[in-house]
Amino acid sequence: MRSAVVGQWYRDLAMGVRFTFTGGREGWVRAVLTAFGVGLGVALLLLTTAVPNVLSARDAREEARQDRGIGYLENNTTSKPTDRSLLIADTDTEYRYQEIRGRLLEPEGADAPLPPGVAKFPAPGEMVVSPALSELLRSDAGKLLRERLPYKTVGTVGQAGLIGSGDLTYYAGGKGLAERLDGSVVARIDRFGASTDQPEEEVDPILLLLTVVVFVVLLMPVAVFIATAVRFGGERRDRRLAALRLVGSDSRMTRRIAAGEALAGSVLGLLFGTGFFLIGREVAGSVEVFGVSVFPSDLNPSPGLALLVALAVPAAAVLVTLFALRGVVIEPLGVVRTAKPARRRLWWRLLLPLGGLALLYPMLGQGSENGEFNEYLVIGGVVLLLFGITALLPWVVEAFVARLGSGAVSWQLAVRRLQLSSGSAARMVNGIAVAVAGAIALQMLFAGIESRFTASTGKDTSRARLELALPQDGSMIAVGEKLSRAKGAAATAALSTTEVSDAAKDPERWLGVTVGDCAALRELARIPSCHDGDVFVAPDRADPTSANLATAGRTVYFDPSWSGEEAGAEIAWKLPAGMRKVTERPDSLRPGSAGLMVTPGALPAKTESDFSSTVFVRTDPAVPDALDEVRNAAVAIDPLIRTWEWETTQQAEQFTDIRTGLMVGATAVLVLIGASLLVSQLEQLRERRKLLSALVAFGTRRRTLGLSVLWQTAIPIALGLVLALAVGLTLGAVLLKMTNVEVGVDWASVLSMTGIGAGVVVLVTALSMPPLLRMMRPEGLRTE
Amino acid sequence: MTPPPAGSLLVATDLRKAYGPTTALDGAGFSIHPGEVVAVMGPSGSGKSTLLHCLAGIVPPDSGSITYNGREMATMNDAQRSALRRSDFGFVFQFGQLVPELTCVENVALPLRLNGTSRKEAERTALSWMARLEVDDLARKRPGEVSGGQGQRVAVSRALVTGPRVLFADEPTGALDSLNGERVMELLTEAARSTNAAVVLVTHEARVAAYSDREIVVRDGKSRDMERVI
Repeated sequence: MRSAVVGQWYRDLAMGVRFTFTGGREGWVRAVLTAFGVGLGVALLLLTTAVPNVLSARDAREEARQDRGIGYLENNTTSKPTDRSLLIADTDTEYRYQEIRGRLLEPEGADAPLPPGVAKFPAPGEMVVSPALSELLRSDAGKLLRERLPYKTVGTVGQAGLIGSGDLTYYAGGKGLAERLDGSVVARIDRFGASTDQPEEEVDPILLLLTVVVFVVLLMPVAVFIATAVRFGGERRDRRLAALRLVGSDSRMTRRIAAGEALAGSVLGLLFGTGFFLIGREVAGSVEVFGVSVFPSDLNPSPGLALLVALAVPAAAVLVTLFALRGVVIEPLGVVRTAKPARRRLWWRLLLPLGGLALLYPMLGQGSENGEFNEYLVIGGVVLLLFGITALLPWVVEAFVARLGSGAVSWQLAVRRLQLSSGSAARMVNGIAVAVAGAIALQMLFAGIESRFTASTGKDTSRARLELALPQDGSMIAVGEKLSRAKGAAATAALSTTEVSDAAKDPERWLGVTVGDCAALRELARIPSCHDGDVFVAPDRADPTSANLATAGRTVYFDPSWSGEEAGAEIAWKLPAGMRKVTERPDSLRPGSAGLMVTPGALPAKTESDFSSTVFVRTDPAVPDALDEVRNAAVAIDPLIRTWEWETTQQAEQFTDIRTGLMVGATAVLVLIGASLLVSQLEQLRERRKLLSALVAFGTRRRTLGLSVLWQTAIPIALGLVLALAVGLTLGAVLLKMTNVEVGVDWASVLSMTGIGAGVVVLVTALSMPPLLRMMRPEGLRTE
Repeated sequence: MTPPPAGSLLVATDLRKAYGPTTALDGAGFSIHPGEVVAVMGPSGSGKSTLLHCLAGIVPPDSGSITYNGREMATMNDAQRSALRRSDFGFVFQFGQLVPELTCVENVALPLRLNGTSRKEAERTALSWMARLEVDDLARKRPGEVSGGQGQRVAVSRALVTGPRVLFADEPTGALDSLNGERVMELLTEAARSTNAAVVLVTHEARVAAYSDREIVVRDGKSRDMERVI
């Protein structure tokens, strides 16, 4: 009995599959449309299944090229050169907000380790660069950067040495680095690679929640879209199925045959999707989205997940078709759906979102301190809530358009069409509504917890935009002066710091010393009058005893000596009698500079060797690329000068990574949804081609028909967005409650999300206008 | 080629039209008087529908001339030809081509609404035409809920509702059984004569052509008048 049922199913599904490929042009067009739509979704799913691989490959390469930590030789500054040692200087920089990883390399022996991806050490004056950097340097946009990297390019950094295809990296040949060995900017190493015993960073439960929700929110519209795509061309298919009823197939057989057609379309879609994925994989190597680039070879779907996609998509196609046809009675003489359809029921549609809320309810108030979230409940709850949109939207559209009256002809055509088949209109916008709802919820969650992962740096970017650290003191004032003359620099403050001790040998107490000209010192403390040669003292509130050391007439020592160690210079300095007390500015450029503040003229001779110097630069907003002009000037002075751009806030890296991941995923999903909307719009127009031509034949203005298409899209999308807004705000509020954060709505971002959703629809409508105009040509009336 | 008779409303001479390598019209001519019913006959693919589409200004011919009411159609732009179709021409197609989502009365009222008539006024006029074609009881039904013959009568009402001077009917009974087909033809010609509208009737059925005053035959893209044997 059971085998007979299975056999019947098999025969019916197989017949549907045969119809797909033997149904002539019509069947093929439908199959290709379905396959195209399903293929887009499959490609995105395959991309998702490749994410774990991408991340691990990137991590592995990043670790392999590390030259910090374990790679250091013991006691780096006093280590001796060997056959296997390499001197390496960190010359990372930034160009137009893109980070560039730079290293100077100076091998000290024949067996010095080569960085991953580098075949041969570049000689001094030469460099090897990543392909992306090479391209940037050759382009017009790289003109300023060429000035900063004046080396001759002699080779390319291979994939093994790069994190992504867009990675901007260079290795240049260095010279005389041994003299500048400081264990910080310049180090001596004997191998590349990260320590294996580094503890794994624990993920905050809230960030884990965020990651889970991001995945669900991004994948839901894809699933919804695939479900929509397998129903492309459904109306004509149903008419064809009516003919099957005429020759004796019962209604169940007919549905299974339809499911067979969907199965064939979805299997073809799997092939298309694999093709799209392979094409996209190659294209991915040459694009960068929100600063993330990948190598095509990293984009390998995990076999288990890919198998799941291969099985789930055809199974979903069959189930969706059987479900969709449950309310359609295919009679031998036609499809009953063409008459007025039965009203949709609300009760079961409400069960889905309510079920979602019920699953999320137990986790309210968990927060990051009260344990971890149950991932399965979160996924289940979010899926049900978002899936509820797809169930509710057809009811909302039907209930709403049933109340609309007729207006202008274009409005009447649109409203009547929506009244007759609100389901297909709702299906068309389901994907975008789900995406917008998810995005609103995530935006709320991001905004709510942002403060938890964002810290203020306390830096005032109106006073300085760049901070430059000089690798050796030498001429701090001179460097400051040179930088002040650089194009784009409005003002500079050059400061050096060191410490003085209470004794020449084995000191016990220390006092900070900051050296700078009067203008620079005024950036740190309130100083009414100042001349070169003056000395000031700013009491350290945190360490009141330091004040005892900073008394006029007392002798302090630069570079004291320690018993059993190499002797220091032990330079004595008697604090001048005219030393004045000043107060540190609350908005000091360099907070914590309490202690002695000294103008260069007051310093004893030969004291500069141990100073660490910093130059703060305020840039001229009127100069384009001011930051890069100053960086260029700094590198021209000394390539080892390191620069940091000042930011007012700093975000936790994981938080930023998740946000970037969301941006990348959301872009891909929006592109998919836009493409799918376009395909389904064109498919609907194709079905009405003859009617459109007839309408034009008796004089209907093209504008009228164009407007009617716009209304047909605009009404459901408006309803979809309202529903998305309601569900998104609810989900956002629930997620915030779960994380114990006060519920608040950032209306600007909510409206911008809704606007983006609406924008996609407007764009799709605009793109479908040219084919609409073509289809409206009266030539469409020709049948021969 | 004989010159068109004086007083012709719509005249076409030496029309040529090709779709790619296929020649649809190869020097065809045509003329019709107000109130006259002319049947255009010929086998499938002979070019009769293309002739109708050219005459109605739906498709521009590659060469030749079409004058309507003394005005050369080639001098009109697309918007002017569309306006002409809205105001002076009516159309009936083989499958009705009613807008499935509109009710029957809304379908019939559509050409009037496109001309700017208010909805109430348009639907009132539409109903009176539907009554003349004996389908006023279907006013609130959708095309999917009525039979083929009823739908075609609704389509004829739609074609006549603006009071066109020329009615173009392309195989108007092609999808109907003989009884329904005859009833549609009776009502169509009766209504057209009552308004003095000319009817260009494309058909390949002799019994449908019998409702016309004159027949022309199109074969291989050329047209000629047919002698009628009574």
